[in-house]
Amino acid sequence: MRRAALRLTLSSAFATLLAALLVTTRADSHSQPFSWIDLVAAPDSLRGEVTAHIVDLAHELGVADPEVLASGAGIRAHETELRTVFAKRLDLRGDGTRLAVAFGRMTPVPEKHAVRVSVALARPKASTLEVHGPLFTWEDTHETYVNLRVNGRLEVQDLLDQGHLEARWETGARRDPAQVVFRFIREGIHHIFIGPDHILFILGLLLLGGSLQQLARIVTAFTLAHSVTLALATLGWVQPSARVIEPLIALSIVVVGIENLRAEGGRRDLRAPLAFAFGFVHGFGFASVLRELSLPTDALGIALVSFNIGVELAQMSIVLTVAPLLARLRIWRPAAGPWVLRVGSLGVIAAGGFWLVQRLLAG
Amino acid sequence: MRSSFASSIVSFLLLATPAAAHEFWLAPLRYQATTGDTLVVRAFVGTGFKGETKPLAARRVVRLEARTTRQIDMRGLGVNGSEDYARLVLPDAGGASVAYQSDFATIELPGAQFDAYLRLEGLEGPRRERERTKSTAKPGRERYARCCRTWIRGSDLTRATDPLGLALEVLPSADPTLLKRAPFRVLLHGRPLAGALVRAWNRPLDANNRPFDVATRDSLGPVYQGRTHADGTVTLPVDRAGEWLVSCVHMAPSESRVEADWQSLWASFTFARPARPARR
Repeated sequence: MRRAALRLTLSSAFATLLAALLVTTRADSHSQPFSWIDLVAAPDSLRGEVTAHIVDLAHELGVADPEVLASGAGIRAHETELRTVFAKRLDLRGDGTRLAVAFGRMTPVPEKHAVRVSVALARPKASTLEVHGPLFTWEDTHETYVNLRVNGRLEVQDLLDQGHLEARWETGARRDPAQVVFRFIREGIHHIFIGPDHILFILGLLLLGGSLQQLARIVTAFTLAHSVTLALATLGWVQPSARVIEPLIALSIVVVGIENLRAEGGRRDLRAPLAFAFGFVHGFGFASVLRELSLPTDALGIALVSFNIGVELAQMSIVLTVAPLLARLRIWRPAAGPWVLRVGSLGVIAAGGFWLVQRLLAG
Repeated sequence: MRSSFASSIVSFLLLATPAAAHEFWLAPLRYQATTGDTLVVRAFVGTGFKGETKPLAARRVVRLEARTTRQIDMRGLGVNGSEDYARLVLPDAGGASVAYQSDFATIELPGAQFDAYLRLEGLEGPRRERERTKSTAKPGRERYARCCRTWIRGSDLTRATDPLGLALEVLPSADPTLLKRAPFRVLLHGRPLAGALVRAWNRPLDANNRPFDVATRDSLGPVYQGRTHADGTVTLPVDRAGEWLVSCVHMAPSESRVEADWQSLWASFTFARPARPARR
């Protein structure tokens, strides 16, 4: 027993020594990855304070020694750059539109090793006020505490981190439906054009060519299917994991490429059923994006339909650009048609295969 | 009693791992309070009984309760982002217990790091299961919750020994401020948990029974570690004066497999033993 106790004491002593060294290192890098956003809503204005740790601010400024920001003099010496950092990192939105914030006095907060800045802005005539965050993202452990007071009452108490990116306050103001429609159509279009996997899936479906009727059938099948799962997932009725959906989207691209090579020999064209089947999968992918867009709870239906319209507009613009080009190419250079199909399909398979492996490994 | 030099090395190679591998505990500003005193309790996260203050996250609170002459629900009383988890005036000299349980947060560690962390925390079941299913190369996806309790001693010992119903609870069965070796028990959803690794740290308090600054004080190794018996009990040598942290971790397959593969509960119990055995 005594020997065991001695052994524990020795190992504890060793552990303590190492701990002292390692904890010191950690503290130097960042031991308090916290920030605070405190707002007070008045009828015409929003005022408050943002408090950020000197380590985070120094990192954003590229300043080697955070301690230079711990004093009033240090803050004054870097005031312009600090204002730029706060303006860049503080993301307040009214109904999804980013708001302009005026920054006031900056003071050191010694007990928090932080800098505090006062903020003010005109209260937007929006039905939802959103605070996006966390304030800093260079460390994935960063957390931002958000408080919003209205008439002396804490209406919002939230914590923003990598798993929860938005705090929101329903202001009670009436929402403009036209604004919702415009915003979510724009988001739908934006999502298609920033997502190479969706574009490649659509291109893959077009490579084999076909009559206007055939292409219309393929596009309609895809649209019908993804509209169903987009609605189901957005309404929260079915929410499969992204770990499953993302690899399946990549797999759909591979399958479409293989189908093109298979159907080239004059076999039955299965693109419409494939587009329908995989449309369900892509719909879940669209929904995951839509859920991140601070959906207005009182205009959920409008937002959902508008986003879908945006997706369709983007898809149709791709179809109406690429399909005529491929058709024209086949008329001008009939020999190039099969070559474009094979090379294009192999490219689609390669890209889809790469994403499939990448997403499976990441999962 | 188990301890090994190797485990110490592993433990401190793991110091740089994120939140899940860190202890989380509650502590009062001062381990002494009587009728009419205002008791302020804060939370801390770190390793080796050293760390940082962890502000209150209202969104994460599942339970926040104080036990004095009665059980008080403290949820909604603290301000989000504040350092104070609980602030209450003591109604009598019986002492107080404050308990906190968080919701689940998720974390993912590379396979090797996750396995080292399982070894460090003595979580043999999950480690063997990963080996059996040949999944040690896969990242460790975990959701974890904190279940902490602090006790400020007074005349009513039941305020320390009665369970408060946390998902995982470590608590004394007899007065650890009087006995040289005090029995503790670990309860999982109110039932004794056998085979759980319990560790204890001890450090001195200042002359006013206040803990030294948690961020600047030295880091320590545990003074005890051992596993609970079949009835969920373990006996700790608590003869040293000062502040004590007793902790235990339990891990099981996740109830939400979409979120994580494993689910852990981190329990802690803090108290202070006076320099001389207390007399009542």
